Amino acid sequence: MRRLQHWGAVAIFVGPFLGMLLLFQYVPVLRMLWDSLWDFALLNPDKRSFVGLQNYIDMFDDPDRRQAFLVTFGFAVGVVCTVIPVSFLVAVYLNGQLPARAIVRTVVFLPVVTSAVVIATMWVFLFDPTNGLVNSAFALVGLPRMAFLTSKMQALPSIIFMMLWQQTGFATVLFLSGLQGIPGDLEDAARVDGCSAWQRLRHVVIPLLSRTTVFVVVIMTVFSLQAFAPALIMTGGGPEGTTNFIAFDIYELAFSLQQPGLASAESTVFMLLVLGISLAQMRLLRTRWNY
Amino acid sequence: MELLKKLGTLKKAGPWLAAAAVLVVILAVFLGPYAWIVASSFKPQAEIFRDLRPISWATFIPLHPTLENFIHLFVNRGVGRALINSAIVSSCQVGFTLILCSMAAYGLTRIRFRGANIVFAIVLMTFLLPIESLMVPLFIHVSNLGLQDTLVGVFIPWIASPFGLFMLRQAFEDLPRELDEAARIDGAGHFRIFWSIVLPNVRTTLATLALVTFLFSWNAFLWPLVVLQSPRNIVVQLAIAQSVSIGQLPNWGETFAGATIATVPLIVLFVFLQRYFVRGIAMTGMKG
Repeated sequence: MRRLQHWGAVAIFVGPFLGMLLLFQYVPVLRMLWDSLWDFALLNPDKRSFVGLQNYIDMFDDPDRRQAFLVTFGFAVGVVCTVIPVSFLVAVYLNGQLPARAIVRTVVFLPVVTSAVVIATMWVFLFDPTNGLVNSAFALVGLPRMAFLTSKMQALPSIIFMMLWQQTGFATVLFLSGLQGIPGDLEDAARVDGCSAWQRLRHVVIPLLSRTTVFVVVIMTVFSLQAFAPALIMTGGGPEGTTNFIAFDIYELAFSLQQPGLASAESTVFMLLVLGISLAQMRLLRTRWNY
Repeated sequence: MELLKKLGTLKKAGPWLAAAAVLVVILAVFLGPYAWIVASSFKPQAEIFRDLRPISWATFIPLHPTLENFIHLFVNRGVGRALINSAIVSSCQVGFTLILCSMAAYGLTRIRFRGANIVFAIVLMTFLLPIESLMVPLFIHVSNLGLQDTLVGVFIPWIASPFGLFMLRQAFEDLPRELDEAARIDGAGHFRIFWSIVLPNVRTTLATLALVTFLFSWNAFLWPLVVLQSPRNIVVQLAIAQSVSIGQLPNWGETFAGATIATVPLIVLFVFLQRYFVRGIAMTGMKG
């Protein structure tokens, strides 16, 4: 009777969560693996033919899919390379004693609580070639008018800049908590030994922040790989596929082009990529650096 | 620490000016877009364009404010409906997430049972799944369950939130077990301990989780886009996205008004509850 009561309590407390998790996470993953082996349309999912690994072969053969992967990775690299230095500097700034720190912290964090849709919408208008605020600001300082999102060369860099604006606050918070975890006596010791401010930053602060940095790099990479709203709202994946992010490509394949089999194959590869990066992060963070 | 303070204090005039310049640039870059959008939402289209060239105070302040864009949004575009739907979806998602996660966290930390580690591993694995990779199978699955194009279908897949479980599990672990052992000796059952001892002691964490869940739910885009079709079920993010859909000539003022309505409540909430937001959002990054 006590055993029954024990397992009853377990079922009542853990059961609902576990059930929902299995139903809405594990079943879809299995479904994705299964569907990726079939050729069918969402409009008529019962009429399907088994194609084995053909969807995967088609995916890697198709220059459009390859471009989507390339574009997404280029985007991630661009975002990481800009967000890391900028947010590090903002964090150092916030960690100091300047006035207006509270305002800067709030202002930089605003985009983090703003939805991806609103941000993408804002920047469509900010980047507008004729009436955009960015071009007006450029005119103010004598820069030429730019095409931004409608140009093959400028579309992806423009979205990278938007992402930098959007994610700086988040990365700054992470760096700031890393900075605040550095014991003050380490720096004092370096100062007593005669290190300059730059040397202390270079040889004490930055090495001690390696774990935080790895963490921020991985989070920013994963966030960038998941970009969807900018493609749908700002560019439609264009011009000429230069902003066709993987998530948008999957969406278009499944829901516009009615090829959920192929989309499932792409989703599977995408999922493995994101999982791989996250697991690599866990391994990296588990190793102890000797500082 | 000393160095960073020094970098911050920067007593000499030259560096001080540099720091002031940085401050101005940061404020302009981060606040400028918001100011422009909000100000323009109170202007007719012609005025938005006219005030852009050249940039002046008028670009960021509506000199002759009008509520026309907002009225049009509510009367002709059904944004009121979208706001109500978003509020329903977000509050249901917050409520169910808190219930499911806190019960599971109690089960995992306070009832010792065989297989708890396996359950935890099962949860751990889903932590890293990107929703972008699940949209196609999840759509087929939710359609098979008959939840396609319903508000329930929008929030139900996410209420078993691994993030919520982790957050609460941590808070429950930090709570001294002497508390509930004393209650058990007094004859309290699991429900009594859960409800009147554990939950009241983790209120801060519950509030943080509620806030973060609300934010994510309110701002969610991809899944509502996939699962909802009919206009009467539209949520606010979809309504904004529709007003800028590519290939259409957007109405600038109306779009800005929509963006303002969807964003300002969150920003007000954020400014007042900043501490919880920052803590909670920093934790969403602690995946893994």
